[in-house]
Amino acid sequence: MLSATRVHRAFVALSCATLALGGACRTDAPQPSGARDDFGDMISPVATTPQRIVSLNPTTTELLYAIGAGGRLVGRTTWDLYPPEVRNVPDLGPGLRPNVEAVIAARPDLAILYASDDNRDAARRLRAAGIRTVAYRVDRIADFARVTHVLGELTADTSAARFTVDTVQATLARVRAATAPLAHPTAFWILWESPLLAVGGGSFLNELLVAAGARNVYDSLPGPSPAVSFEDLVRRDPDVILASPQSRRHILADPRWRALRAVRTGRVLVFDTTIVNGPSARVGASAVSLARLLHPGAI
Amino acid sequence: MRASRWALIVIVLLIAAVIGVAYGTLRLTPLEVLQGAFGSGTSTQVAVIRQLRLPRVLLAALVGAGLGASGAALQGATRNGLAEPYLLGVSGGAAVGAVIAVALHAPTAVVPLAGLAGALAAVALSLIVARASGGQGDARVVLMAGVVVGAFANAAIMVALAGVDANAVRGALWWMMGSAADASWAQVRALSVYVAVGVAALLALARSIDLLALGEDAAAGMGINVARVTLAVYVAGALLAAGTVAAAGLVGFVGLLVPHLARMAGARTHRTIIGAAALGGAALVVLADLVARVAHPPAELPLGAVTAILGVPFFLSRLRRLA
Repeated sequence: MLSATRVHRAFVALSCATLALGGACRTDAPQPSGARDDFGDMISPVATTPQRIVSLNPTTTELLYAIGAGGRLVGRTTWDLYPPEVRNVPDLGPGLRPNVEAVIAARPDLAILYASDDNRDAARRLRAAGIRTVAYRVDRIADFARVTHVLGELTADTSAARFTVDTVQATLARVRAATAPLAHPTAFWILWESPLLAVGGGSFLNELLVAAGARNVYDSLPGPSPAVSFEDLVRRDPDVILASPQSRRHILADPRWRALRAVRTGRVLVFDTTIVNGPSARVGASAVSLARLLHPGAI
Repeated sequence: MRASRWALIVIVLLIAAVIGVAYGTLRLTPLEVLQGAFGSGTSTQVAVIRQLRLPRVLLAALVGAGLGASGAALQGATRNGLAEPYLLGVSGGAAVGAVIAVALHAPTAVVPLAGLAGALAAVALSLIVARASGGQGDARVVLMAGVVVGAFANAAIMVALAGVDANAVRGALWWMMGSAADASWAQVRALSVYVAVGVAALLALARSIDLLALGEDAAAGMGINVARVTLAVYVAGALLAAGTVAAAGLVGFVGLLVPHLARMAGARTHRTIIGAAALGGAALVVLADLVARVAHPPAELPLGAVTAILGVPFFLSRLRRLA
């Protein structure tokens, strides 16, 4: 049996198909494609488009700006730094174990949380306060595409979401095609010096490295930022080290790092530090900048 | 203590040091280890032995020596077998200094110095609190003041960590659990000065600590200025602990455990207890650091977690006798 929701969605899809040549596809009564969020909670349907959105994950905040819904934000986390105009949105504190009262005080009609277990209680309390609340994990490049589509449906602008996803995926495909025939150097991406934290196989940065034509020496470790020992790094002896400007200075000044071939051969490269937060709409541009760093002239 | 016992402690320390230099995540043959040590191997072998393992083993030894000697002297001066440098609030103070530095995004090299400043400030505060209550000569009052300062420090850490990002919190917690992973020759040189001065001062005070151990009245009756000797032991012990904290973060239970092992080995006077605790502490921390390095590759365990796993069962098994 077709539910009213599915009938509505079919109607929206048909309308979008009709309007595709015109470019825009807006709906008055947004319905997310998945009936459940990443906590597995039901997403309550509403009749109106959200006008006051609180996003407590820097990546979803960026995605909202990318699909043109940034102007509707009434709250963000302390860690939201991009795009620059996000600083004009009220800072509601942390994104993990958020200040529920501060979120309620912002009077949002949609609250978007990061789907970490730390936030289950906040999601429950916000719903109890009558606020439509969804939670999504945006950790991998696949999550970027999936959640961008969901945000497009939630904010009633699916064409902008589709355009964002298509653009990023086209850029990623271009980078992969350009780097595929090249030799892939082994790389160590340092995230923190003490303890020594590496980009692990569970991070979208590992996916970016692969797209940009390198092989992460710690891709077999499942976490996003595993701690590793210095001697283990020496044992893996990567061809290239990716570091922040500050870490690069420390690496070059510390005689211990001379144990690594990449340091002795001058292959400590500085990555764009603004890309490490999450797989946002800039993930395509990040892959380009990384590929240019690793393979100058290839793209 | 018999000469054979001294020889045994020294041999254990030397064996621990040799294993510490020869063994690690990067497997090297004995020949490669020697080539690395004498500078004739590949640049990787030379860097691993000379820049990673040798300073690390030496730093671990100095940390253990400092904590062992400090614990031995404090247990004697307070006549309390449960005393150790951290009960003076040193650990809490050091952690506050380091965590504030991390929260302010200070360069990595500044964090240990901030820890040292915090440790010394905590000891000073403990002694001021004790003096204000009129109990600066009373070991129990000073220990209580240290516990209170430590509790205050914990609260300050929670406030400082409230607004920092996840990696910085992880960095601060890592430092609070202790590690010799960042050992450098500069740190070895700096800590060797602390340990040399601190241990020499405590050995010079050893005879007075022997008399204090008989009880304050008895010591005073034999012409000891109880308040002054107690203060001198605290300052020297805190300096040792603070130096180790600055070099390797918080490494607990060594100062508690090792003096008891020294007494079990037959050390009776504080001159021998402090000396044996310094050597035994060095051996213990070198071995604990080896476990921290190789037990859970490719990650390292926090050194303080390894010493706690060794120390807590000992503490519990001896609690009735020590208290």
